[in-house]
This record gives sequence, C-alpha cells and structure tokens, in this order.
Amino acid sequence: MRKLPLLLSLLVLASPACKKNEPPPPPPPPPTTTTLPPAPSLSSVTLGNAIGDDKQVKDPLLVFGVKDTIYASVQTAGTGHVKLRALWSFVKGEKTAKVDETTIEFESSGPNTNEFHVSKPSGWPKGDYKVEIFLGDAEVPATTKTFKVG
Amino acid sequence: MATDEKKKSDDDMPDFSDVKSGASSTAPAAEVFEMYEIKPGDSLSKIAKRVYGHGNEWPKIFEANKDLIQDPNKIFPGQKIKIPAKS
Repeated sequence: MRKLPLLLSLLVLASPACKKNEPPPPPPPPPTTTTLPPAPSLSSVTLGNAIGDDKQVKDPLLVFGVKDTIYASVQTAGTGHVKLRALWSFVKGEKTAKVDETTIEFESSGPNTNEFHVSKPSGWPKGDYKVEIFLGDAEVPATTKTFKVG
Repeated sequence: MATDEKKKSDDDMPDFSDVKSGASSTAPAAEVFEMYEIKPGDSLSKIAKRVYGHGNEWPKIFEANKDLIQDPNKIFPGQKIKIPAKS
C-alpha cells in the first residue's frame, strides 16, 4: 500500500511527457501541376455564300452559283500564335489547278472565328473544287472541304 | 509528245487569274497575306503594281518581308515572300 502514492506520482509526472509527443507532420502539399495553355487547334470549317459580322456562315452550302462569293468560316481555339492557310483548288479528275492561297496570322487568346473568301468576277467554271485548311507550317491539311459550282 | 500532251492537258484547266480573295478574323490585329514566289524579272515595284495597282506601294511588301529581304533591290527567283492584303 505504501507504494501506491509513489506509483501515482510517477503517473502524474509521466503524463505531461506523453503530451510532448511530436504532432503528426502536416500532410504534404498537393503536387503542383503545371497546366500548359491549350495549343491552337482547328475545330470546324463551314462553307457558304454569305457570312455575318461574327464571321460565321449563315447558311452552309456545298453547291454554289457561278457568281457566288465562296466563304470558308474556320473556328479555331487555343492560345498562342496561329497561322491558318487556305488553299482553294479546282479539281478535274486526277488533276488540280490552284485557284487561290491566302494566309492569316494572329495571336490567339481563345476561340476565334476566321473567314477566307474567294470570288471570280467573270464567273466560276462549273465543276468540283476543294479548300484545304492548313494549321501552322504543316504540309498536310488539318481539314479539307469539297464543293461544287454549277 | 508527252510534253505536248501535258501542255494540252494544262490548257484544259480554267484560268483563275482574275480570282479575288481575302480573309479576316475575330482575333484582333490579324495579319492577312498571300504567299508569292518571285520569278525572274520581278521587282518589288512590279509586284506592287500587279497586286495593288501602284508600283509605289512596294514598301508595304518590303516591310512585310524584312526577315527575308535586306535590300529591296536584291530579290531572287524562288524566294517566297508575303504579299499583304490590300488595305
């Protein structure tokens, strides 16, 4: 029985020591992920014979009249330097004849609508045509649209 | 014979020399141009006259190609230059 006070004293002395246990280390910060802005990309191409102030084709067409101005409305997205090239060609069997080639460059900070257009005051020869849209300096078109005049 | 056939075939293709073209963007400060390959006998003023109707607009072409052309009097066949769109 004489040992009981001594035991209690030891317990009292020991208890603060238990409270001095090191707190668990804080959880590691979440890994920092560097998200690069999305690179410029081409989302859609629509052909028509008229566009609005927003550069979008009003009524999509694939057959045009000989006196039409032909528009290609090109939607792009992403950020950075954008270079778009439109190559218009007349297609006759295996052969093609270049009609026009126009390039547009700009600094993009998000979605944009771009338009390319061609007209021929003397009238378009009837037949098959195509417009190829190239992104950057690529030699392969990002997309190709075919259409007819006649 | 093959050359004659090719010429005849090429001649079958329509003439698109009077085609008018252009482009624009909703992006601010978009630059629109056509690429042109310099041919023997070309000068910037000749190209400017053909494209813009006035030879004295050649500085516009020179300014757009300063990375390629150091001297406006020295251009070479085969060089591909930017022709800014008519403003």
